[in-house]
Parts: sequence; C-alpha cells; structure tokens
Amino acid sequence: MAFGYHGRYLRIDVTRGDGQPVPLPDSILRDYLGGSGLGARLLLDEGSALVDPLSPEAPLIFAFSPLVGSPLTTSAKFAVVNKSPLTNRFNDSLASSGFAISGKRSGCDAFVIVGRAPSLSVLVIDDGAIRLEPADDLRGDTCQAAEEKLRARLGPDYRIAAIGPAGECAVRYATISHDGRHAGRGGSGAVLGSKNIKAIAVRGTQRTEYADPHRVTELSRDLSKRSFGPATAKYRELGTASNLLTFNRFGSLPTRNFQSGTFDEAPNLAPDELSVAHARTRASCVACTIGCEHIYSLGDKGVRLEYESLFALGSLCGVSDGDVVLRAARRCDELGIDTISTGGTIAFAMECVEQGLLDEPWLTFGSGDAMLRAIELIGRREGLGDLLAEGSRFAANEIGQGSIAFAPQVKGLEIPGYEPRALQTLALGFAVGARGADHNRSGAYDVDFSDKVDRRHATLDNVRHAIETEDKAALMDSLILCKFLRRVFDDFYVESAGMLRAVTGWEVTADELHETAKRIVSAKRQFNLLAGWTPDEDTLPERFLTTPLPNDPAAALTRERLQDLVAEYHRQRGW
Amino acid sequence: MVVEFLGIPRERAGISEMEVEAGTLGELFGALTTRCPGLRELITAKGLHPSVAANLNGDLFVSDPSTPLADDDRLLIISADAGG
Repeated sequence: MAFGYHGRYLRIDVTRGDGQPVPLPDSILRDYLGGSGLGARLLLDEGSALVDPLSPEAPLIFAFSPLVGSPLTTSAKFAVVNKSPLTNRFNDSLASSGFAISGKRSGCDAFVIVGRAPSLSVLVIDDGAIRLEPADDLRGDTCQAAEEKLRARLGPDYRIAAIGPAGECAVRYATISHDGRHAGRGGSGAVLGSKNIKAIAVRGTQRTEYADPHRVTELSRDLSKRSFGPATAKYRELGTASNLLTFNRFGSLPTRNFQSGTFDEAPNLAPDELSVAHARTRASCVACTIGCEHIYSLGDKGVRLEYESLFALGSLCGVSDGDVVLRAARRCDELGIDTISTGGTIAFAMECVEQGLLDEPWLTFGSGDAMLRAIELIGRREGLGDLLAEGSRFAANEIGQGSIAFAPQVKGLEIPGYEPRALQTLALGFAVGARGADHNRSGAYDVDFSDKVDRRHATLDNVRHAIETEDKAALMDSLILCKFLRRVFDDFYVESAGMLRAVTGWEVTADELHETAKRIVSAKRQFNLLAGWTPDEDTLPERFLTTPLPNDPAAALTRERLQDLVAEYHRQRGW
Repeated sequence: MVVEFLGIPRERAGISEMEVEAGTLGELFGALTTRCPGLRELITAKGLHPSVAANLNGDLFVSDPSTPLADDDRLLIISADAGG
C-alpha cells in the first residue's frame, strides 16, 4: 500500500447502524487520488446513478486525500460526493478544516454512507468504530448550534459536520457545515438529512506515514513561504468580496437576476464600505497559511462574507443595504443553505413577480425585508418557500409561461457571480460542467481576465483554455489543495507530482497527473451519462443566448456560437 | 490618460485613479513605479506580476510593454485572480 493512505474506506449503513472496512487497491488510489476523484470513482462503483438521490440507497461519500494531515498548507480539506437532489447529476462539494484531519485519522480514506436511520441521529465515528446516538434534542437547530451542543456532549476532540433545519426538511440546496465552512453546492445537506442524520462526529488516532518525511517538510516550508506572497494577497488582505467592484467595473456583476451586468449601488456593498459599520477580522481554516476568511461583526457574532454570498444576496436581488446582506448571509449559514442557489432562486422569483407570473407582490427586487423573509420560508419549506426550496429550474417548470428562459441555472444548479455573456470562456465552462454552472469546477474566468482571449467574443481557441482550467480544478479537488494557491505554483503539475512522490512514494510525473485529471473529469461525466445526461443539457438559459447585456451590447452570446464551443469541447475531450 | 486601480493594486497605490502621461504600456509602468512606490512589488518597467492584470478601456487585456496608449485611454489595473 502507498504511503499517505490507509488503503480502505468505511462503508456505513445507518439503517443498521454499522460499518465495514472495504479495501482500496493502490491502482484505484493512484488513478483517482482522493477527494473529488476518489469520491467519483466510489460513487460509480456504488452503481447509484439511477437511484433517487434522497432515497436510503443513495450513497453520500466523504473523501479525504493523501495530503490531508500533512503540513502542506491548505491540505486540510474533504470532498462530499453524491448524486445531487437539485440536479439529479453528479455533485461534489468541498469544505475545509479539522473534520478532514480527524476523518482521515479514523483509519479510512473515505466514508460511504447509505441507508436511513430509524430516527434523527448523530453518526459517531470513533477511531473507525460506528455508533448512532439520538439527535431529537438537536431537531431544528442551526448548523452552528448543533456543532456546539455535540462538542459539549461528546468532548472537544471530536470534529463535527452538521446540517441545519434546511437539511432536515430536504431543501434541495441544503449544505453540510463544519467549523463555519460549508460543503455548499448541490444539496449534500439534503442527502444527509434524508438519511435521518443530523450530524457526523469523528475522531481518530491513526496517522499515515510519508514516503519521504524530510522532503515533505521541505516542500511544506517552501509552499507556506510562497503562500505569503503577492499571489495570494487578494484573498489574505481583502477577501473574495473585493471582486464586487472589479466585476461591476467590467460589467460582469450579475444584477437583478442577470438582467444587467452593473449595479449602481455596488459601492455600498464593497468591503471598504461594509467595514465602516462592521469591524472586520480575519480567520483561516486549520493548516492554512493564507487566511482568506474575512469576518464582519454583526451584533454579538461575526459573519463570514465571500464574494459569492455578496453578489447572490446583494446585486442579484437588487439589494444594496450591506447590513441586510450580512444578515442574510448569516441566516443562510444558520439554516444550512447554499447562498448562491438561495439568491439565484429568490432573484428568479422576484423577476417572475415583476413580470406578473407569480402572485407574491411582497417579493420585489431591492427589498431587503422580502429577501430575508424568503430565506426564512425556504429554510423551513413554509408557504412560497416550499416551491423555492426546489431550486429555480423546478420553480420555473411549475410557474411555466416561459419563465425557464430566465431561470439562472445550468443542469439545475444556480449560476454563480460571473455574467456569462461578458466572460465567454467561463460561459463554456458553465455549460459543460458536470455538476452544472460552477466557478469552482471551471476556473475559466482566469482566462477571460487575461490577454489570451477576447472575453466577450469566444472562438474555438477558447475551448482548450476551458479544458485546461477544468482539468486543473479536478486535480486540485482530488489532491486536495485550495484553489487560492493556484497562482503560487510555477508549474502546478510538476510541483504536485513532487508532493505526491514525497507523500506516497509513487514515481508520479506531471504527465501522469495530466492524465489523472482527465480521468477524473471523465468519471464525473460517466456518472452523468449513466444518470441520463443528454447533449441538450450542456447549454445556458435562453436569456444568455438571445439577449445581449443591456449595459454592454458587445457582450452577446448566440446559441450557435455556444453550440459550436460545446461541440469543440466534446471533440477535444474525445467524447 | 487615466489609470484606475482595483483590488490589491488599489491598496498598494493608495488611490483609486490617477492621470499619467505615457505613450506606451512600458512607459506607463515605469511612471507608475516612480509615482507609487507601493506598486513596485507588482509592477516593473518590464511588466506585471502574474497576480496583476491590465485592461485597456474595459475591452482587451494587455501586457506587451510596446502597446501604444492614447491620451483618452483608460487603463484598469486589477488583481488578476478573479476567483471567489
């Protein structure tokens, strides 16, 4: 068995309340590494592509990686992999911090969870031993309250991942939360809730050895040193929220459900302005030297605010009151719902009201009170919230009257904060993404913000760039390393091969990792094919293909151009 | 011409925009490092650090120091990493 791994995963049946270790051969580990890649392989092996994602049979996978537990900065991450109840397609969402380290110390490289507990329970994994504990006293608790209560009950050496009220009532974009971070996209929280599991508590003592511990230490020191430099300064000093003014300046800030790419009130939401009324502090995940979390004070608690929450609960809903956006972001974190899908679905509903397609006159663009009310309804599936908890695609199909044309989603996953018409390499990345529109699986915005392409007029030459960024993301999500490191590397594949050699002892090369990345992307697609994927899913909503950006008519994308790009993408992938 | 700063370049420059006389991008970079010492980690007369990008008039991104500039141009200097 390779160093850096335990060579087994734990298959847990919560119906019976037991778990069995299952061997993981070296060949699988080397081909899929860990995180998203290993999770994708295990999800395929479970034969789960056609099951209802909220049924007991549907697996929910927590996958660690060879680098977890090492001193390599940002490596304390885990992937949650499942069939998405929002998209009915492949889903992988990542989160960070101590749960990854404790999970791996349980003596396994992954947990595969199936079944449904007889009543609401906590799944306790104690050095690899499984038990269920009652969780009735946690019913309805926020993610954070559940974590706090369980730490008090079980002891401080447990690390806990929990769902909020939204996961309990199967909001299709419910998250799994740990230590203030969320495995956020695609509804993994609803899957855990469907298994009657409120939280997973894990601790362990089993460490893995490194093939070359001295080299691992050397590489870790070097990477940490470089992580303090200008390549990560934006994340460290300003946080991702600083994107807001940049995107607004470029006309690529999604506003009022993608009806515009600029928001006149954007300066009200900029970090500098928010900091005037809300003191800002910084925090970081365990084992991270970047420290990208910028926490804004709000009452007696802080709120971690990222760009994606800021755009989704701000400009996308036309809300310009920074205090309201902070309150909304905090409420989403408490309820355990993905801020992007929440904001996207509410903004869609606001436009339906605006067009007279939905009789909810209180739900108007720009109304912070309306947004906060909608969030509350969604988190508990009350009233209109029961419809919006299904996501914008489902809601559009229910509302009808052509509203699917402006439902802001791809494959059912709401579009993040990048206007596709103004960033057309990323538009392709959104269209072909295995889990739908997602900026963490396609980093093609990096290309659009460069002199390699014309961001507002994609040609077939853009396709290779989209593929390169998708491959790179797949590898980072499988090693696992934080994407905020990506500009630190001189040659990401060469350096990753060096890290893997030192940890595992494999004679890995950069060329091999290029192939590994492609294999992982293909595995996600393979799952989707088995789940019923059809070519017409690789597209964008009609709005983006028929209407130029009102604030920037040069930012126009036609159906024919996107179809050509998608066809070329498939050709270059060899699909 | 006018230079606008966003993101980390704005932090380092200490202002949001300034007027600069320059005939080429290389001349502009040289002028900026003289007038804004805080930018020297990110900009040299030869070019930009990979964490920084320059855009002309909101249209094309530019990096070639010989790129000609006109008096009515607006150059945006931003953090290249747009990820969030």
